Amino acid sequence: MTFRLTCPVCGKRDIREFTFGGQERGPRPEQPGLSAEEHFRWVQFRMIPGAGAEAGAGAEDAGAPAGGRADTRREWWYHGQGCGVWFRTTRDPMTNREVEGGGGQG
Amino acid sequence: MNRLKLRRLWSPTPLKRHYDTIIIGGGVHGLATAYCLARTHGIRDVAVLESQYIGFGGSGRNTAIVRANQRTPENVRFYAEGLKLWRVLTDELDFNLMFFNCGNLNLGHSEAAMNAFRLAANTHSFLGVKSEVLDPQQCAEAIPGLDISDRPAFPIHGGLFHPPGGIVRHDAVVWGLAKGAAAHGVHIHQGCEVRGIDTDGARVAGVRTSLGRVGCNRLGIMAGGYSTAVAAMLGIELPIHPLTIQAMVTLPLKPFLHHVFSSGAYHVYANQTLKGEIATGAHMDPQVNYTTDATAYYLKHQAEALVELMPALRRVRFMRIWAGLADMTPDMAPILEGNLGYDGLYLDAGWGYFGFKSGPVAGKYMAEYMATGERPEMIRAFQLKRFLENRYSGETAAVMKYGHWD
Ligand SMILES: Cc1cc2nc3c(=O)[nH]c(=O)nc-3n(C[C@H](O)[C@H](O)[C@H](O)COP(=O)(O)OP(=O)(O)OC[C@H]3O[C@@H](n4cnc5c(N)ncnc54)[C@H](O)[C@@H]3O)c2cc1C
Ligand SMILES: [Zn+2]
Repeated sequence: MTFRLTCPVCGKRDIREFTFGGQERGPRPEQPGLSAEEHFRWVQFRMIPGAGAEAGAGAEDAGAPAGGRADTRREWWYHGQGCGVWFRTTRDPMTNREVEGGGGQG
Repeated sequence: MNRLKLRRLWSPTPLKRHYDTIIIGGGVHGLATAYCLARTHGIRDVAVLESQYIGFGGSGRNTAIVRANQRTPENVRFYAEGLKLWRVLTDELDFNLMFFNCGNLNLGHSEAAMNAFRLAANTHSFLGVKSEVLDPQQCAEAIPGLDISDRPAFPIHGGLFHPPGGIVRHDAVVWGLAKGAAAHGVHIHQGCEVRGIDTDGARVAGVRTSLGRVGCNRLGIMAGGYSTAVAAMLGIELPIHPLTIQAMVTLPLKPFLHHVFSSGAYHVYANQTLKGEIATGAHMDPQVNYTTDATAYYLKHQAEALVELMPALRRVRFMRIWAGLADMTPDMAPILEGNLGYDGLYLDAGWGYFGFKSGPVAGKYMAEYMATGERPEMIRAFQLKRFLENRYSGETAAVMKYGHWD
């Protein structure tokens, strides 16, 4: 199913115009003394959606992961087939869609 | 009509308050592990808890391609043993898994790809796995209708042929393993969702399910694309990205395609099923999601790619499209781990789109790991801590890849 993302310049455009740029990870950790483990945790371990807490209810949706829902994700996207801007938006991995008001930030 | 009398593959059992071992997830990995625990190690007090029905996950949705032509020695060895198990299991389970040993042909569209094939073929033959480099003419002889002219945007430079691979019927594997496990005393509970995990100090103590609390001494998380969500119940984070991946089949055609073929450049692999359909995949979403939505865009992509490689397929219609989850790790190798901070806790996940072919062999070694507490040599390379030590497996550089991981 196709859906749209909100480019801060062009507005709502089809997902196929964009390239995924990974999750917003926050500032890169300081380089001096940075261990392989700290670096990896910064790069990879923050990318995991998960319900975390037990949520008893939920999961009526056959595709839902245990606990009901995954967290929404703040991500980078690139409008390569449009204006060429990099921007951030917030998306819900349960629906693939942008969260209300999440899009359109540089 | 009497001849069609249906018999259950196993009998329903009541959910006990306690099992020695609980496996979360009724896919090939969970069922194979349970089967080997009971059959090989005599641990029969085992339950497989499945939130939907067995085979609901990737195990009932994959394109059933099996092969051992991975890139790195530790992966090649592991998948090569996996390939040998289909015949063994067909006998042992007394269930026709329909292993079609047709071989796999990977197409190369550049000299760089051909060099990667040569390297791979050497690694494979060094490890006793059959694999040979073909020129374009030999590719055309193997795959009728393949366009080896200069016309396609990415002309075919040659291929890597892997005779021991092929196709296995995925539903039969799920059913056969469930039947075999149940015959050795394993309880299989469908419609039983795990919602929380109980611990007792540094040990796992049981699970909280939609059908109540169940205690256990050992717990295996084998929940495929949902493994990150299950591990998160214990606050364990995993470097696994659940991504939606799609596949489709055409109308049935007369048999003409006698091998699996694939092309990394065109993002396409295809084979003809025993029913005659061309089964083909696989587009993977780059962004994490649990939707398992199919897309019109991908139908179009797949039609274009197939027709470009095999012009005779023009006008053949697609009949069905579906999707499932791929649990991708950063290095495209799995995580098989018993050192997760809680005694008795094990994990078998991160298979991406390699998890069908590896089901039985992973089950064999995970059962040994869970039964003895000792990590088997064969799966040493698949520890979680490799990431933290910056020792990624080299599989991402493999030539046979179809996703955005390329
Ligand atoms: C379209 C597609 C094509 C593919 N093609 C191939 C291929 O050609 N070759 C190949 O080797 N691999 C392929 N794969 C990958 C392969 O299907 C998977 O890697 C494999 O099936 C994983 O098996 P599993 O047992 O680990 O997980 P799954 O089969 O996903 O099983 C996990 C089970 O856990 C259950 N579960 C989840 N959460 C809970 C919970 N909280 N409580 C209880 N149960 C729970 C789920 O319902 C599910 O049934 C493909 C996948 C897809 C989607
Ligand atoms: Zn734009």
